[in-house]
Amino acid sequence: MGVSRLGLLLLFVMLLGGAARAQAPVPPAPVVKPGTSQEKVQADISTRQITIQSNFTGIEILIFGSVDFSDARMPASGTYDVIAVVRGPNDSVVVRKKTRVAGLWINGPGKTYTDIPSFYAVLSSRPIRAIASDDTLRELGIGLSALDFSRDTAGSPQEQSFKSALIRLMEERNLYTVNDSGVVFIGRSLFRGTVALPVNLSTGLYLVDVYLFRDGDLASRTNGSLEVTKAGMEATIYNLAFHKPFLYGLLGIAIAVLAGLMGWFAFRRD
Amino acid sequence: MFQIYLPIAEISVNLLVMLGLGAAVGFLSGMFGVGGGFLLTPFLMLSGIPPAIAVATGANQIVGTSVSGTLAQWRRGNVDLHMGALLIAGGVAGALVGVLLLKYLRGVGQAGLIISLTYVVFLGTIGALMLWESVNVMRRQRAGKSVSARKSGQHNWIHGLPFKMRFPRSRLYISAIPPLAIGGLVGLLASFLGVGGGFIMVPAMIYILRMPTNIVVGTSIFQIIFVTALVTLLHATLNHTLDILLAFLLIIGGVIGGQFGVRAGQKLRGEQLRALLALMVLGVAVRILIDLVARPADIYSIIPAAGG
Repeated sequence: MGVSRLGLLLLFVMLLGGAARAQAPVPPAPVVKPGTSQEKVQADISTRQITIQSNFTGIEILIFGSVDFSDARMPASGTYDVIAVVRGPNDSVVVRKKTRVAGLWINGPGKTYTDIPSFYAVLSSRPIRAIASDDTLRELGIGLSALDFSRDTAGSPQEQSFKSALIRLMEERNLYTVNDSGVVFIGRSLFRGTVALPVNLSTGLYLVDVYLFRDGDLASRTNGSLEVTKAGMEATIYNLAFHKPFLYGLLGIAIAVLAGLMGWFAFRRD
Repeated sequence: MFQIYLPIAEISVNLLVMLGLGAAVGFLSGMFGVGGGFLLTPFLMLSGIPPAIAVATGANQIVGTSVSGTLAQWRRGNVDLHMGALLIAGGVAGALVGVLLLKYLRGVGQAGLIISLTYVVFLGTIGALMLWESVNVMRRQRAGKSVSARKSGQHNWIHGLPFKMRFPRSRLYISAIPPLAIGGLVGLLASFLGVGGGFIMVPAMIYILRMPTNIVVGTSIFQIIFVTALVTLLHATLNHTLDILLAFLLIIGGVIGGQFGVRAGQKLRGEQLRALLALMVLGVAVRILIDLVARPADIYSIIPAAGG
């Protein structure tokens, strides 16, 4: 990796950052603990609009930003920590536990979780527990253990095992991710991190929160969003299936009948 | 590069794998003269398609293959329209019950279990009977004995039932109740398992209704068009589980594979074909049974709550 290439990348990121700032003003008055510092975090996302089309196999987005009025003397001095949280639109799911009945594995009664994020990614410059206290993290809703299922989980061990199963299953589907080294500082004040959005994404608005920490305290925060939509043929089919289901069913039958007729006609020998 | 995103299943699959799956099932159904749904739907589930979407999309694919199958049979005069109409009437009622039952079972989280158990019971029974019958025929032929033909015209219990009707094409005078009941059972299975139901309808028509064998296949596949079309429509409307794009890929593969299957099937003898089919049916049943009995990799599972 040559120095010139790194320089180019820096320039590129700065340009992007500048452009983003011009487009979307940072929301006012971030919650900052008093008496700490002047620094402000600016951030943006490489892709604001993700369209799911027939060739969609998942996408990686870049979250980048900079620390204004940085006190850091040199790159990677560890003065600042950044945590970025990406949260997808809410969903409700049912979690079920199988039990063995007469030699067969059978679903027991399920537990419904309403309003859990369909996607949740935390990326940080260090393990989040090393960046801030558990209380601070919980207050800000950062980390899988801070995910708020409170309405649905009442603390009994049984409930707790359902909650951890839910988180584990979402992690297996790459819908919940935690990356302790996902944010990298480039130089004194620039940082970047990538998040992989898997193919089984829900459509809707994704919120991105970026937190700047200094010595365990929140110094600054900013947020942004990106929208995931279906487009082209995928959108047409999806909309038809959910808004005009009867017509959609008839269309399915018509295509099948037509294909059957054509197949018979093309191959008949009598 | 050949990955394609399915809009309703919301996963990305390989285009060639799905075309190949359609072709393979089409080949087998052409070879054995069955719909192939009992193979297609489990295969779809194994390749990661959610069960409810596999069932609805499988039914849609069967509409396509049974249209070409019926046309070929129709030209040979092998469709009994009177019998077909009764089977369809029963099938419509069965399909309605099945779709509603499936909706209820999904709500209580037992759909997967009941679907799997039904598959095991039906495929296991039919497969074992077919294997036993075809092996017996082969053994007797090897021993040089003559194979006794089906005794037609023999009276059995169904002749005691009321509402008798005449079926000129099948040369039968029997009660309307058994065809309605068979149609109903097939409709139930079609909406429930995403199958055409030929594997249960054909033996029932031969052994219970005692219809001539050449009329049985044509009439059964004729009924399957209408029942699977209704099942497709019901699932699309009530459950939003039909993926047209996936169905399209499977139909294209299936129509082509089916034609080659018919040719391959003509090179094998009837009892050999039945023994092969029986082994495959049993194989699918055992595979599903293993999934029910073996300890699952994860005893927890999640499904979208809105889907039920």
